[in-house]
Amino acid sequence: MRTAGIDIGSRTIKLVIVENGQMIHSAITDTTHDPLEQCKRLMDQVSFDKILATGYGRHFFETHFDTPTVTEIKAFARGAKALFPSCRTILDIGGQDTKAIALDERGNVSKFEMNDRCAAGTGMFLEVIAKTLGYDLDEFGKEALKADGNIQINSMCTVFAQSEVTSLLARRQKREDIARGIHMAILNRTLSLLKRVSTTPDIVFAGGVAKNPCLRLLLIDTLGYEVKVPQNPQMVGAYGAAIIAREIY
Amino acid sequence: MDIVILNRLQQLSERNLLDIAQAKREGRKVIGFYCLYSPIEIAVAAGAIPVSLCGTRNDPIEAAEKVLPRNLCPLIKSSYGYAATDTCPYFRFSDLVVGETTCDGKKKMFELLAEFRPTHILQLPQTQESDGALSFWYNEVKKFKERVEKETGVIITDERLSHAIQLTNQERKAKQSLMDLPKRNPSPISGLELLTILFKTGFFMDKRAKITLINEIVEEIQKRADQGEGPFDPKAPRILLTGVPVGLGSEKVIRLIEKAGANVVCFENCTGYRSVFTIDEKKEPLQAIAEKYLAIPCSVMSPNPGRIELLTELIKEFSVDGVVDLTWQACHTYNIESYNIETFITEKFGLPFLHLETDYSESDTEQLRVRIEAFLEMVKG
Amino acid sequence: MWTELGLNLEAHDELLAVLGNAYKDIYMKQENRPKGMQYLDFVISEAHGLRIEELMETKRKGNKVVGTFCVYVPEELILAVGGTCVGLCAGAEIGIDEAEKVLPRNTCALIKSFMGFKLAGLCPYIQASDLVVGETTCDGKKKAYEILNDYKETYVMEIPQMKTERDRALWRGEIVQFKEKVEQLTGRKVTVETLRQGIKIANATRRALQRLSGLRKATPTPISGLDALLVNQIAFYDDPLRFTKSVNDLCDELEDRVKKGIGVTKNGTPRILVSGSPMAVPNWKVPYIIETSGAVVVAEESCVGERSTRDLVKEDGKTLDEMIDAITDRYMKIDCACFTPNVERTDHILELAKDFKADGVVHYSIQFCTPYTVEAHKVEKALQQKGIPMLRIETDYGMEDMGQLKTRIEAFLEMLRK
Repeated sequence: MRTAGIDIGSRTIKLVIVENGQMIHSAITDTTHDPLEQCKRLMDQVSFDKILATGYGRHFFETHFDTPTVTEIKAFARGAKALFPSCRTILDIGGQDTKAIALDERGNVSKFEMNDRCAAGTGMFLEVIAKTLGYDLDEFGKEALKADGNIQINSMCTVFAQSEVTSLLARRQKREDIARGIHMAILNRTLSLLKRVSTTPDIVFAGGVAKNPCLRLLLIDTLGYEVKVPQNPQMVGAYGAAIIAREIY
Repeated sequence: MDIVILNRLQQLSERNLLDIAQAKREGRKVIGFYCLYSPIEIAVAAGAIPVSLCGTRNDPIEAAEKVLPRNLCPLIKSSYGYAATDTCPYFRFSDLVVGETTCDGKKKMFELLAEFRPTHILQLPQTQESDGALSFWYNEVKKFKERVEKETGVIITDERLSHAIQLTNQERKAKQSLMDLPKRNPSPISGLELLTILFKTGFFMDKRAKITLINEIVEEIQKRADQGEGPFDPKAPRILLTGVPVGLGSEKVIRLIEKAGANVVCFENCTGYRSVFTIDEKKEPLQAIAEKYLAIPCSVMSPNPGRIELLTELIKEFSVDGVVDLTWQACHTYNIESYNIETFITEKFGLPFLHLETDYSESDTEQLRVRIEAFLEMVKG
Repeated sequence: MWTELGLNLEAHDELLAVLGNAYKDIYMKQENRPKGMQYLDFVISEAHGLRIEELMETKRKGNKVVGTFCVYVPEELILAVGGTCVGLCAGAEIGIDEAEKVLPRNTCALIKSFMGFKLAGLCPYIQASDLVVGETTCDGKKKAYEILNDYKETYVMEIPQMKTERDRALWRGEIVQFKEKVEQLTGRKVTVETLRQGIKIANATRRALQRLSGLRKATPTPISGLDALLVNQIAFYDDPLRFTKSVNDLCDELEDRVKKGIGVTKNGTPRILVSGSPMAVPNWKVPYIIETSGAVVVAEESCVGERSTRDLVKEDGKTLDEMIDAITDRYMKIDCACFTPNVERTDHILELAKDFKADGVVHYSIQFCTPYTVEAHKVEKALQQKGIPMLRIETDYGMEDMGQLKTRIEAFLEMLRK
């Protein structure tokens, strides 16, 4: 049986197909102003027997397609555990929110916390600041890695951080150093959230922001141990949803 | 400020920690206080050393937020954080800590603080005006006295109390003469300097040495003022800071005001003028203590007419040009009371008024700066 | 009538429209509601109509209306002077603009709501009140009454912050002073007979609500959490005798349901205990989300719930003094978080979780409610030790975070279903 999981976020929609426990297809697209159309486009490209929705737009999907739903908490938990059986903690930094999830020995969610009221420290924050510094998203992390200086960034609010960055540039601070400072600020905020939930290894670092090499390194440095990053960190939720779909049916 | 004064302060501050350590080895007890309402005379009368544990820095807050809600006054989080991380030498020295039922946040925080040290809670009445308030408070102070007697093994006689009162009255008088220096125009001392001296000397174990030092500082600064020396020009706006307590670490607003060219001449808060009352030395000591302490006009009292009275007095005596009302984020009593304070200041004195709400972090420095600058433009007219 | 009361008609109409729609969406869409709820539906629909007429009528007869904000205010004394006690705590954001002119934005929504209801001329109950009683409970309320007093004279009772003997004496003194105040207000003396009656009436209501609460212990539970909450909320507005009878009638029906094994839930529906800040009418937000996510609320550990109905006043007093002692003792038992150290509340929560076979606890605090938000930590630790999962919710009256709350609550229920 082929099951599909669709993770409808506020910025991107991810689709994963699973057969015999293996991910055989994955696709991502922007949510845009017409998520229904975007979902259909993704679904038309493939065939599957059953589908389950998760993410911010899961109830919206449910009303149109009459499918079951799970929260992204459960979906990420299931997906991360399937990818890394030794997983006990999941850190997901997405486009507009951050989640920390603790799993018990059997892989069930035992605690979770979300920051979804404010874009500070999320993918959106990185994008805005990268643009302000004149980087594209890919080079942003790489350049920050190269920096040797470290500037303290005080504002966590995306809007105010932007002003702070602009004034730092005006004072002739190096771009990489500012980039590094921004990454440190995100790390600190993320760690705060993580420590309230769990830092038990193995920690799986998922979500779009897990692709950022600088954040990965800073996280590992601060924690003092390796974190597991999936090959497709954005797909973990959809993957988990597809697995749960198999379990239901 | 004079480098000599600063150096002496620094030296004495360092010596102070060694002195307390030595005193502990000799068997003296240290009692930690969090609030102006808690009478230190009780500790002094028992030969114990009172130390202030009120948190003024941002560093311990992260640790506190593991247990306390993030949405809580930074002073409370900082205080708890120091205990939880054991990073405050004075907390470490404390054999007993004293909390009180002042604001909700503190009241509930002390329940959690008890995990780290034996804690005695003083139950402060919520109004000063009821018939029963003073006798209720008197009993609380008495209970506190009994606890300290048990803790130290010293019987706190009326005689010991009277001596303690005399000493602390002198201490408060010295403090007041320091805080009165800015009555001159221009002030011979900046608000930041004043805060620094108050803060650092606040920890001194040896009260007599503290009194002597402060009096010497006052004399020196007065001499300088007589010679026309001082950090401000006569046109600098004279600002009164009212509201919540401040200390080194949380002095950001004072710094911003003075960097913008104004002078903070007076603190109407527990750090400043609210703390320099004189206890009646002719009355029965415990009664006199209870009376004076109950009268402290913090916003936890409802109603709080004492604050209006004190503000009236200070605005006149310090020739104030504008008032800044500082509230720590999530402090509901000061935040709500600000409305009536603003009405009073603008209606009775017609002075520009600025209400600021902030925390201990640096993240909103620019937002504060623009408000303060705009306020000072209003003051300058 | 509304004009006579000084209500702002336009704003008031807006409030009624919002209330009406919310009620239709939240309450009327529920399935399998007990017939006895029809009385409550009726009361809600007439909350600003017939009930107000009744209050005006009783005032015309020379009786007084006393508005209160807290379950600590002894209703028995108000009843003893022939008065009517009405709850003024509010659960809607309408009028909040007016409130925010005098109160900081980051103040508890319940406080801003009642202030806004007064300032925007939305509430016939406060307009009809001959006496408004505040109390020194939390910081927000304490300081807000100073401002409310400028608009409507507010008599403030001083509530102690601990539960020692001296606190009890302080509280007793406040109760005696309150007695004198209501005597002065009405020109009637509190007598042994009238106070005994007042105690009986208040206790009868509590017994009825206790009965309702007890029936929810059954599996499946015979009534939804939303409906039970509504009953508890209306207790603060309705005529006590009529209300008590209606609740008892409802309970008769529920007893029958329990006997027949009829409930409002399917097998395996997670049973939730909601604990924390009170939910004043028409604040139905969190139980609504819980119950439309496939769970059922079986008990409320709050002032609009167990905390207020749990204890009765002893009825064996023969003198006024004895009765006042009994009243003092009963009210001292209330375990609001504004008391310290308030160990009793944690114990009660554990007890409730056990008695009601709760699968999980949702700890609810209104945003900026310091006492409950700080206590959540202690409560969570205690529940953890007993292996009972807890979800912390901190929110206000607005609709902006419905999505986020739903995600958290659903995720919590997913955890429970394991």
